[in-house]
Amino acid sequence: MHELLLFASVPLHQHHELRQQLAGLTAMQPRHRLERRLIFKAYRKPGVITTRVGASQDVQGVDLQRLNKMLNGGMYYTQVVGPVLHENFAAAGVTRGEGDDPDAAMSGIHESQKDSLSHSTYDYESQSWKLEFRDIPEAGTRSAVTARLMASAGLPKGDIVEPMNAWGYGFVTEYVVEGDIFILNDIVIFLHRVLRYPSESSDPHAPRGQLPSFEQMKPLDKSGSYVLQAAITVQDGGNQETMRTASQHLFGLREQLRSAVRLEQADRLSLDTRAK
Amino acid sequence: MTSLNQDQIKALEQSRQRLVQLTHSLSSLITSLNTSDPLPSWSSLQSQATIISNNLVTVSEHLTDQQDLFGSLVAYPGPDYPSRTQGPALEQLLRTKLDPRVEDWVSRGRTAGQKSQSQARALIRGQELSAGDLTELWEWAPVEANQEARGRNWGGNFTLEEKEAGIENVVTGLRRELEDEDESEEEEEEEEDQMDIVGARRKTSGGGLEFDIAARQPAEVAAAGPVMPLDDVLRFMTTGLPPKQR
Repeated sequence: MHELLLFASVPLHQHHELRQQLAGLTAMQPRHRLERRLIFKAYRKPGVITTRVGASQDVQGVDLQRLNKMLNGGMYYTQVVGPVLHENFAAAGVTRGEGDDPDAAMSGIHESQKDSLSHSTYDYESQSWKLEFRDIPEAGTRSAVTARLMASAGLPKGDIVEPMNAWGYGFVTEYVVEGDIFILNDIVIFLHRVLRYPSESSDPHAPRGQLPSFEQMKPLDKSGSYVLQAAITVQDGGNQETMRTASQHLFGLREQLRSAVRLEQADRLSLDTRAK
Repeated sequence: MTSLNQDQIKALEQSRQRLVQLTHSLSSLITSLNTSDPLPSWSSLQSQATIISNNLVTVSEHLTDQQDLFGSLVAYPGPDYPSRTQGPALEQLLRTKLDPRVEDWVSRGRTAGQKSQSQARALIRGQELSAGDLTELWEWAPVEANQEARGRNWGGNFTLEEKEAGIENVVTGLRRELEDEDESEEEEEEEEDQMDIVGARRKTSGGGLEFDIAARQPAEVAAAGPVMPLDDVLRFMTTGLPPKQR
């Protein structure tokens, strides 16, 4: 499957307005979405590489280099995504009266520093996961959209690190994505931002078994800005016709939102999933 | 008396080139104004104006940079200068005072500059509000604006002043006819009015709250610094690489 994407950066003060505008445009209420995202990185399994033997002759060096390249070429960062709910986060001192309003969450940050992990309703063992593989976006800028190969697969519930390790993936880091989803025809619009866990808690080498209170989560961007992502998934990426139609639809959306945000192609290298 | 060195000649040559660019862009603006009918689009005019102002800026920068040199230079004709045929040019070069016309421009420019400078200074002096004043202003403004807004009867296509002056005379710039709904919907509106009041009341509490947030937000945003570049966010999302500290 292929994915066609456009991105835009949305400053915090525009977020509320844009959310309203998108709700109007798509004629739907925003679907709030919270996801745990774990990043895994492929590593070379010990023993796969049969290191250099004997004297390092030039020819062998080249061969070895090529071999290395081939082995490394197939290594990617990949994401494991698990949906969570607001209720899964540890109960905070402040009740979230405003429902899903992120502004309310923001203003509540300071009031609830007390640690209340024990009240969490989160059950790591029954957390469902999905593997999301994304290739580096296709090179060449003929069409002004980001296009990349993608694949998703369901994963077993609960502790995911062990199976991932067995496949040759090591846990790198994790974060939470918080945002709203809108659907416009075949376009999935995701207005989201990245939240990081408070740094002091738990072992950084494994996913957390408990979630801190939502108010303790800090946005990655300190100014609190959001990312707007418009995506179309194309089943058959080889079909030029559908790819073109899909990008036309994205351009249509870009025109519609022109006065509000500037949707653009993302920098290819910032979406580089290859592991070096 | 020393002759010019290479750098100085280069500086002179540069100013010549920049002035040539300026005259070119000026003359191209004049031609486009003279020849095209209807007038060129505003966007092209604007881009030409930008070019000219950029040219002016470079010229003025260059002149300021080289002020010492240009102020001390003296022109004089060499013995082989064809003064017979190039008389007028020679006279121009040998002038020690500015052309009266030019002098006029210069003095006009100077007074305009002084005026705007003193205005700017006065503005700055007038605008310096302390943080306390600003907070007070922010607290006062939303409530006051809200009250002002509620004091008016919204809806309809014309203001009261316009109706009094007669709506036929209002220049709307619209082709379709605007109706004056008041006359036909008098009764309905009475009912609506009552509902409006309830709605407005309910809004005021909510609205007041919203205003509070709006008043607080700019300070927070300013404190939090600029928006993180999209690339950094995406890079973190794909590889977990924390963005560089700037």
